[in-house]
This record gives sequence, C-alpha cells and structure tokens, in this order.
Amino acid sequence: MASLLEARTPGFNPYSVKYSPYYDSRLAVASSSNYGIVGNGRLFILGLGPQGIAIEKTYDTNDAQYDLAWSEINENQCAVACGDGSIKLFDLNVPEFPVMNFHEHKRETFSVCWNPLTKDTFLSSSWDGTVKIWSPTRPASLKTLPVGNCTYSASFSPHNPSLISCVSSDSHLRLFDLRTPVNAKYHLVAQIPIHSPPSIPQSTILPRLSNGTTYAGAIPNEALTHDWNKYSDTVIATGGVDRTIRTFDIRNPTGGPTAVLLGHEFAVRKLQWSPHARDVLASAGYDMTVRVWSDGSAMPFPQEENVIRVGQELGLMNRHTEFCTGVDWCLFGTGGWVASVGWDERVLVWDAHTLLRR
Amino acid sequence: MGALDRLSQLGNQISGGASAGGKAKLLEKNPDDIVVTAALRTAITRGGKGSFKDTAAADLMAGALKSIIERSKINPALVEDIVVGTVLAPGGGATEMRAAALVAGFPDSTAVHTLNRQCSSGLQACVDIANAIRSGQIEVGIGAGVESMSTQYGPGAVTEFSELLESHPEAANCKVPMGVLSEQMAKAKGVTRAVQDQFAAASFQKAVKAQKAGLFKEEIAPLKVKYEDPKSGETKEIVVDKDDGIREGVTVESLGKIRAAFAKDGSIHAGNASQVSDGAAAVLLMKRSTAEKLGQTILGKYVNASIVGVPPLLMGLGPWKAIPKVFELTGITKEDVDIFEINEAFASQCLFCANELGIPAEKINPKGGAIAFGHPLGCTGARQVSTLLYELKRTNQKIGVTSMCIGTGMGMAAVWVAE
Repeated sequence: MASLLEARTPGFNPYSVKYSPYYDSRLAVASSSNYGIVGNGRLFILGLGPQGIAIEKTYDTNDAQYDLAWSEINENQCAVACGDGSIKLFDLNVPEFPVMNFHEHKRETFSVCWNPLTKDTFLSSSWDGTVKIWSPTRPASLKTLPVGNCTYSASFSPHNPSLISCVSSDSHLRLFDLRTPVNAKYHLVAQIPIHSPPSIPQSTILPRLSNGTTYAGAIPNEALTHDWNKYSDTVIATGGVDRTIRTFDIRNPTGGPTAVLLGHEFAVRKLQWSPHARDVLASAGYDMTVRVWSDGSAMPFPQEENVIRVGQELGLMNRHTEFCTGVDWCLFGTGGWVASVGWDERVLVWDAHTLLRR
Repeated sequence: MGALDRLSQLGNQISGGASAGGKAKLLEKNPDDIVVTAALRTAITRGGKGSFKDTAAADLMAGALKSIIERSKINPALVEDIVVGTVLAPGGGATEMRAAALVAGFPDSTAVHTLNRQCSSGLQACVDIANAIRSGQIEVGIGAGVESMSTQYGPGAVTEFSELLESHPEAANCKVPMGVLSEQMAKAKGVTRAVQDQFAAASFQKAVKAQKAGLFKEEIAPLKVKYEDPKSGETKEIVVDKDDGIREGVTVESLGKIRAAFAKDGSIHAGNASQVSDGAAAVLLMKRSTAEKLGQTILGKYVNASIVGVPPLLMGLGPWKAIPKVFELTGITKEDVDIFEINEAFASQCLFCANELGIPAEKINPKGGAIAFGHPLGCTGARQVSTLLYELKRTNQKIGVTSMCIGTGMGMAAVWVAE
C-alpha cells in the first residue's frame, strides 16, 4: 500500500475512530488501557499534516472509552462513551477536563451518535439495555428508549431526525420513531431479527443466496455494529459475532436480509457505509482485517424469487496486527480515505482505492 | 464496571459464531480430550452362511466386551456405562446386552443400555458415551455395536405402518426398502452401473489386499463360537478371526454379470451393495487425564460428530450433508482429513457423496468397506473406529472421519484424531 499514514496510541488500545465533520485533517480516537477490560481511557485528538499524523491533544478518563462522536454543532466538541456508564463532552479549547458529564447509564456506555440533521441532540447506548437521548446543554437525558439487553450500537438516521436504530446482543435490529406517541412500546416501530431467513408464508422454496447455497438463517448471535446507508434512506447494514454482514430494508422487517457479505473470519466489530458511493461499506473485525465491500446493489441482479444477493469483497486491509475495532470514512476530498484503529495501539489512515481489486 | 464481566463478554464475542479452530487446534492434546484407549471388533461374517451364523448377537457382544477388557487391561469396575447400538433385536436388545456385559466380566455396577439409530447406532453409542464423559456424568465408558443379521434379520424388523403414517407421503416414504430407493436415487443422480461396479470391485480388491497383508489383525479380536456344519450337520467349536465375506478375484467384469436386484433395468445388485453380516465392535472411551492416570495406551481421540436429516427417499445422501456439518463444527476442511471411512451401504450412494464432496478415491475406505466385508447394521459405526484408527496409525497419518447414511433419511459423521 503506497499511501499509509500511521500514528501510535502508546499504552492505550483504541476502540473507535472518527473523522471531524468540520476539518479533513482532524481525527479523534477513543481508547482504553488494558484492552478496555480494566483501567483508564484516553481520547486522542490527531491532526493530519505534511509530516504525517500528530497527536494534538489527549483527554484522560477514569474508565475505559468505547466510542466517540464529534459534535455537529460545535467544531471543537466531542462526546465520549465511557466504561463507567457516563458520556463526557470534551471541548478542544478546554484542557484536561470535560465541559459536560452525562451520567445516567447504569453500565458501560458502548456507543454515541450525534444527530446529523437537527444537530441539537445526541444519543447513547449501553450495556444496561437502554438508548438515551441527550441535549449537549442539559445534564439529564431527554428520553430513554428501553431495549432490554446489551445495546452495542445506536444511531440516528441520516435522512430523518426522528428515526433511531440500534442493534443489541439479542440479535435484533430495532427502530424507534420519535414521532409516534409514547404508548406501551416507547416509540418502537420495528424489530428485525437479524439471524432469521426471510419469512415466506405458504412457500416451499427455501431462500437461497445468489452463490447457490440455501439460506436457512442462523443461531442468534450478538449484533455489535450497524450503520445507515447514506443514500438509500431505508437501508441499514448490521454486523456482529456471527462474522456476517447483512443489509436490511426497513420497509420489510420480516423479509430477511437484502444482501449478505461473507468473508470475515471473526466477529465484525464496526461497519460504516461510504459517504461517497451508495453500494460501498467498510468493516473492521476481530480477524485483524478491515474489508471494503460492495453490497452488490450497483450491479445487475436477476430478480428471482427468494434469492438473496451475496455482496462482493472489494479489498482487504491487513496491516493491523491485533483486533480491528474502528473504521471511518473521510467526508472530504476525492473520497476513499479511511481511518482504522485496532488493539495494536495504532491508527492507520489509508486510501481504499489502493485496495480495490481491478 | 466488572472487569470479569467485560472479559467474558469479549470472550463470547470472539468465540461465538467462529469456527472451531481448525487443524492446529484439533491436533492439540488437552487433559479434557475424549480419547480412545482400545477399539476392536470381531470378525465380520456372512449372514446365514458365515462362521457366526449360529451365534446370538449377545454372544458376539459378550465376546467383544471380554476382549476389550483383556486388551486394555482396564479394571472392569471402572467402566460406568456401556452403550450398545443394535438395530434388529426385539425390545432393543436391552435385556440380553445387560446380560452380555455381566458374562464379559463387568460387575453389576456397570450400567448398560442399548440404542437404535439404524445404521449409525454404533457411532451414536460412541458419541453418547463421549458426551456423557465430557459432561462429567461418567468417567469411563464403552461405546459398542452389534448385529446378528443371521438370526434377527427379517420382515419383522418394522412394525406395520398405521393409516395415519401411510396418509402422509413423506412419512410413508420412511418404509420404502433401502434397495428400491437407492435404485431410484442412483437413477436420479446419474450414478451408472459401470461406476458402481468399479467402486465395488475396488472395495473387494482393497479388502483382499489388506486381509493378505494382515492389516485387520490388530482390530479383530478372535472369538470361539459353536458352528453347525451345513453339510455334515455336526456342531463344532471354531475360532473366528477372519472376515469371511471378502472374496478374491472380484472384478468389474465379474460384477457385471450379476443381475440387478431391485429393477429389471436397475444398477444395484448383490455385488455392489453392502453384505448382510454378523459382527460386534467396541470402543473404550475416557478423558485423556483419566487415561494417563490409569496408564492406558491412547489410540486416538474423538473430536465431534454431526447428525443431519435428509429426505427419506434420498437417505443415501446422509454423508454428503453430515460431513460438511462436522467440518463446520470442528473447523477443518476436507484437505485436512487423511482417511474417510464412509460406510458402503450401496456403491451408488457412497460414490455420489464422495464425488459431490470432492473426496479423492484414495482417501476413502483404504482397506475396503461394507461391500467387501459386510455391514452388520448396529456394529458398523463402532467397527469403523477401530478400522480407521489402526489404519491412520499404520500409515502415520492423523485425522480421520467416519460417516454413514441412515435409513429413513439421516446422516452422521464424526472426526477422530489418531495419536
């Protein structure tokens, strides 16, 4: 790989990396000592320059850091999900300490996501089985959405500020719509079983993958990550312990996956759709690889009944030497720049175009 | 919060859903491995004509069990449970197998039960014992199998189907005779008589060669039985230590002359299907840590087994589905396997499964199979263990798979590692 920039996070194992939505040269990394099992966390603010990647600032927390989200409304602020259940808001103009501390989750906070449309709220998900919505200016949460089991990842829709999705250890993708009344279901509008095959009543044809094998579904496995497609407002990709990435169309909750991406040899820890192409996504896994995929939606596909598309792996980045835990696409430039982090205490910035199999 | 919780959560994320570790993991030796410290069988003899034609199934089993005590020198009181796979015995053979264990020298504290999973009963017996050891229920056990088709094979083997079963087409298919459905399957899957005969002739030739070279000596425990000479009518005691179904000089040409058994234009005949036979086999299993404490010689270890279902009419496809599943469970591929012992119920189905899975001919049944020396139903699964482990050892190879199709549409496969 010709163009690969590298930075180290000595003593800390990264869990998440995010490009700033304001600057193409700024990155943040949430990390933890001792692989996030016990010990402190550290937020690294990195700057990309002609000399490579420089560590510009660091912020320490008492417990591990598992995720971060840049503020969409203030270019200097960044929310961090912490192992003690808190979310801390850091301001790059304020050294050392957070400017806000949001502490309601009773167990580890595993993800944070800023609302990209209204920009005035962010959400968090936790091992305590809840998703909480916050205002950066208020210490108490605005809303709590019950999930009921360890929620590894939650996200706002990039197309609709009221739609919230999450995946959790019970192998389900849940959708909440804040426009619905708070009835008994607390805004829950759909619950998609990730492991299940399409439910086709009165059909004797077993669903098949486009590679010919039958798709009978799988044993439920923990879902660790998911992301909304940036172009199609109904498409979500999920990944998790069963090594498989699946895409779903939320309009058809019982229809099973629309595409299946096979290749990771261990759990998929993080996936992110490309902001530049509607069919491309990147995933980071415990098999120490970052893979770039096409879900196949840009390719012609014979419309056959009960056939699920198998996506294509476009390239594989294997320079990490430990579990890959985070990956993010740069919003700026020609498109294709990716930052990845792993437990090898390294941040790698690289151009996905150099991986693509021609 | 709790560091231990976080650690176990991470552990589950890594181990969950992942394949089971592959070849390197398989070859590891751990104290909690389930190992085989003795595996043997009686000779397998021709049904109705062979040397065991006058020997009851329980007597065969008693002989095999006695031999396993002698060979392993295990204190019989340490064996906590014996499972005997047997298919045709009325009442499941439960009473006479308990009696056989007592005759063999096991104390009354050794429990016995029988089971019937048709042609895989012997393997299922070993798997049940292995699982009981793995779960901590028992420490030492014997998986065994026996069949006296001479004395117990007949139309009484299946109860008359009720109207309810007959009214359900797939259920009714469960009692279609093996030969008939194999004939249909061979036709449907395009397995010609010529390739079946070729496969069958090779089975005979391999078995003849193995027998001449004395390759069965290690696995066969000689048995002294009474035998009535059909010519003179006199009863005498003989020692049986040789498979008598193995015939010399079987070639594709000689098989080509046999008339098809199940259809006029059929392809299946007595020469390319498994023989009706008598025999017994037993496998002594325990944890590696136990074996080391007892000073037992370890022949190999049991890794895992798969059980699958297939349509009843395509029962011959069992191994085709069971083998990939056991690969998934153990994390290995067909390239990692040195020897496949796939039961030759019919040349057609064995060949079809091997071809579909892409298993090279030289890896399958190197000492011949049921076509050459017989398929005593309940015995076969346990018989394959000794056949496999001694051959792996002799050829200095490691990983083996035993597999078979099962009547009514199932398949089973197990992975073993020789040491």
